[in-house]
Amino acid sequence: MRKIAILILLSFTILMQACEDVIEIALKESEPRLVVTASIFLPKDNPEASQFIRLTTTAPYFSEDVPAASDAEVAIIDERGRKYDFQEFEPGFYKSDEFTPRFNEDYQLEILYKGELFTATESLVSSPSIEFVEQRDGAGFSGDNIELRAFYSDPEGVKNFYLFRFLHESLSIQIYDDEFTDGNLTFAYFSSSDVKKGDLVRIEIQGISRRFYEYMFILRSQTGSGGGGPFQTQPTTVRGNVVNQTNPENFAFGYFRLSETDTFNYTVQ
Amino acid sequence: MKKVLFVLFFSSIFIIDLCAQERYTLNGLVKDMASNETLNGVNLLFPDLNTGTTSNEYGFYSIRLPLGDHRMVVSYLGYKDLSLEISITRNTTRNFDLSEISEILDEIVISENTETLNIKSPEMSVNKLDISTIQKMPVIFGEVDVLKSLLLLPGVSNAGEGSSGFNVRGGAVDQNLILLDEATIYNSSHLFGLFSVFNPDAIKNLKLYKGGIPAKYGGRVSSVLEIYQKDGNSKKTEANGGIGLISSRLLVQGPIVKESGSYLIGGRSSYAHLFLKLTDNENSAFFYDLNTKLSYRINEKNSLLFSGYFGRDVFNINESFINIYGNSVFNLRWNHVLTEKIFTNLSLIYSDYYYGLTLDFVGFNWNSGIRNLNFKYDFNHYLNENISFDYGLQSTYYQFNPGEIEPNTPQSGINPRELTKKYALESAVYFSAEHNILPGFSAEYGVRYSGFLRLGQNELNLYPNDNPVNFNETFQIYEEAEPIGTRKLSRNKVERAFSNLEPRLSLAYSFNDNQSVKASYNRMSQYLHLITNTSSPTPLDVWAPSGKYIEPQLLDQVAVGYFQNFRDRRYSMEIESFYKVIQNRLDFIDGANLIANNSIEQVLLTGNARAYGLELLFRKSKGKLTGWLAYTLSKTEQQTPGRTSAETGIVNGNWYNTNYDKPHDVSITASYELNQKWQVSTNFAYQTGLPTTFPQGQYLFENLTVPVFSPRNSNRLPDYHRLDISATYIPKPSSSKYKSSWNFGIYNIYNRKNAVSLSFRKNQDTGFNEAVRLSLFGIIPSVTYNFKI
Repeated sequence: MRKIAILILLSFTILMQACEDVIEIALKESEPRLVVTASIFLPKDNPEASQFIRLTTTAPYFSEDVPAASDAEVAIIDERGRKYDFQEFEPGFYKSDEFTPRFNEDYQLEILYKGELFTATESLVSSPSIEFVEQRDGAGFSGDNIELRAFYSDPEGVKNFYLFRFLHESLSIQIYDDEFTDGNLTFAYFSSSDVKKGDLVRIEIQGISRRFYEYMFILRSQTGSGGGGPFQTQPTTVRGNVVNQTNPENFAFGYFRLSETDTFNYTVQ
Repeated sequence: MKKVLFVLFFSSIFIIDLCAQERYTLNGLVKDMASNETLNGVNLLFPDLNTGTTSNEYGFYSIRLPLGDHRMVVSYLGYKDLSLEISITRNTTRNFDLSEISEILDEIVISENTETLNIKSPEMSVNKLDISTIQKMPVIFGEVDVLKSLLLLPGVSNAGEGSSGFNVRGGAVDQNLILLDEATIYNSSHLFGLFSVFNPDAIKNLKLYKGGIPAKYGGRVSSVLEIYQKDGNSKKTEANGGIGLISSRLLVQGPIVKESGSYLIGGRSSYAHLFLKLTDNENSAFFYDLNTKLSYRINEKNSLLFSGYFGRDVFNINESFINIYGNSVFNLRWNHVLTEKIFTNLSLIYSDYYYGLTLDFVGFNWNSGIRNLNFKYDFNHYLNENISFDYGLQSTYYQFNPGEIEPNTPQSGINPRELTKKYALESAVYFSAEHNILPGFSAEYGVRYSGFLRLGQNELNLYPNDNPVNFNETFQIYEEAEPIGTRKLSRNKVERAFSNLEPRLSLAYSFNDNQSVKASYNRMSQYLHLITNTSSPTPLDVWAPSGKYIEPQLLDQVAVGYFQNFRDRRYSMEIESFYKVIQNRLDFIDGANLIANNSIEQVLLTGNARAYGLELLFRKSKGKLTGWLAYTLSKTEQQTPGRTSAETGIVNGNWYNTNYDKPHDVSITASYELNQKWQVSTNFAYQTGLPTTFPQGQYLFENLTVPVFSPRNSNRLPDYHRLDISATYIPKPSSSKYKSSWNFGIYNIYNRKNAVSLSFRKNQDTGFNEAVRLSLFGIIPSVTYNFKI
């Protein structure tokens, strides 16, 4: 009988060996494309903040960093035709101190890069405030996580979409819709085993459009955080809202969006 | 020429009936001597008359014989042949009891399988496995698994270790009709695909139709897996069971009314979670299932069978993730011998698949599922020794629950919500004939007429131009269309009706007793669709009925084959080739969210699937060494073109490999009887690596490292192969009271790290991208103890 018990235990340790290992693999390389990160923020407490746009290109998958896309002409044009130029201050980083987005207005992003014109049109999306944060200890699957719930009130009767950024040691990005929480006081959820008492967690809510929500939804499912395996979703090319007007085949990756944001700095109890 | 054939064909039906005056019917049941269990597929042969028949699913046979005394042989492999002289002077009912070879103690035990080839019958593309063969094969964790065993036969594969369900001849998992005692099983896997839901002890036999599917079956386009549970021993009470590493089983059966009434109750449960409890871990993951059966033979002509199955998987991770799902099935059948030539079975079946989920960190309880009530009336009509008919009707009422959501605590921000329930009625009538047209030439032909009524529901979205999916030409992507309104229709009204005529034909020509060629064609329709866009289905996936926006799947399949027995039927060879095309296969737009989606039509696109291949099975079914070599060469693809020339479709409208496409699939299974106490078995499997998609580049967007992927499924995982061995030890083979056996096994003996997936991700510590291979099962030893009292 004891033998059986040993065998059973032995098999269980082996069962747990279901393992992951890093392997070498040769990959094909695709032609480089422009990547646009044009996320314009309107913080509730600092509406005059500088705005940044980052341009890069795609890189081979195993390369350590992505090349900057320099020497582009970058501007945002409002409905009245006023043009806000973004100046490159570091390779690939473009900045404007002039531009402050307003609600109910369409903005056009224009990028002239290597002789091709890329455009995108969006408007500003509002966001509620983070009202309070609840903490629960001993949470998570392993029972040693600290979890935070950041509460906000969803406006009733309209479809809303949110992006949350929880910044502790690393950045955790989450997206929410209000399909099942319309008009309620509801929460975004953050759980980590690295968080300790006295740590500061910076929580940011951003109002986002439905299309950007869907874009992020696909993007997140493609980044490998899903872990692969039999339940992974189908890999695909994720198209954003930036269109190449000169040569539509040579489309750009990335997104142009404008979001109102609110932040809450929470000290872990 | 056509006319001649036509006349020949019909005359062969009628001429034989004309001279039937001096003929009488012999009918009855074939049963196991020890348990009274009815036996299915027993050959009843009359060598001098050169005729014979086979018992049906309920052990019934019927044959027309001329007046006189005839030599008769009743044979069923694994059982001792019964030879007798029978005198036919009038219509006669005669039951036969066969004794199992292993029950005969003094004889040399020769393992034989019921799986020898039926050369002359038009039946083709069928995989049969005897439960005793399955029990000998080496299996992972020593858990005997009927579905995993099927994977070693040609034409059957799955989407890798740990994936649920199985794929038949390039069909998808949801295209298999799985019948347990005639009731539909919607999810055949426990623990996300690690084990199948069928308790091997409770199973009498199983049969998988890959092609040439008889008209009796319909509703799924790829295959039919028919599993019958044991009836229960009506002679004496017995118990058997097993203790394994993952689960234990116990099955008790016995008479209620001696000789005519019996019960069977069996249970199985995994207990890994108990060990977790010991280690102070609050998490648990386990499954259990219960099988029950009550049989009562009222008289020679009537019997009642009640059977039930209930199975659940339970996951509880620190009370923040609680997941319970499973099938339940109840079924009442009435076997009635209408006349000496007509056997009927009336079934009333209830079948239910439930999925429940509590996510505390989101704050909700969720449940979804599918229920159906099914009525079937099937007739076997044995007209004469050359023709028998199967006909009947079936009707199924479905209720689909795509999901109900409620807050799990008062603080939860979730609004209670019920996704619109859907209702449908699927009905069919069928007629099919098995016909010996000329000596050596036989056919099975028939037709099934199926209809599907999608019934009214509370809220049905309406879209501009009835088009729920838009193509955005600027961004070159598909988008959900905005509904312009909804329609409410009573459940008693028909929203949309479909009907399909499904012809079926199988032909066999035998050159002699040992060689034949066969061909078949079948058309089938499927009105239900499993909504899933992951590599392998998950228990959470919901079934959607065809309706206003979803068309039924339609299949056309042709298959041809060559069959041969060698050396006194010790060896057999089967070569088959098939080609099939499926219309209206669903695909999903990029980023489709399928979970809790109340208007699934907004993310669906329709395409085609096709598969073709060559299957080879070489088998040795008698002697000390038994086993087979199976090889499948096949291709399985899917295509979703754009609906107009401006649209891209999926993967630019090109054909792409399905997730389970394996061009080469080889398996070798062998079992050798060393002596009465020891038996050793081995499996070897080699398969081309599964399709996958590698990145060709990367970019950075808002702190996310995003891969740029190559076209879908255009790359492959490394090839898969493994070798398993097992040994069965019977301590006291001649004991008649308490029988026991030990099964020792080693799965994946050379510990190959077969990749289940390759994922590409950023290493959180180094910040660099890497390729990560996930392999599930390395070398796994196991031991199982089985007993029978």
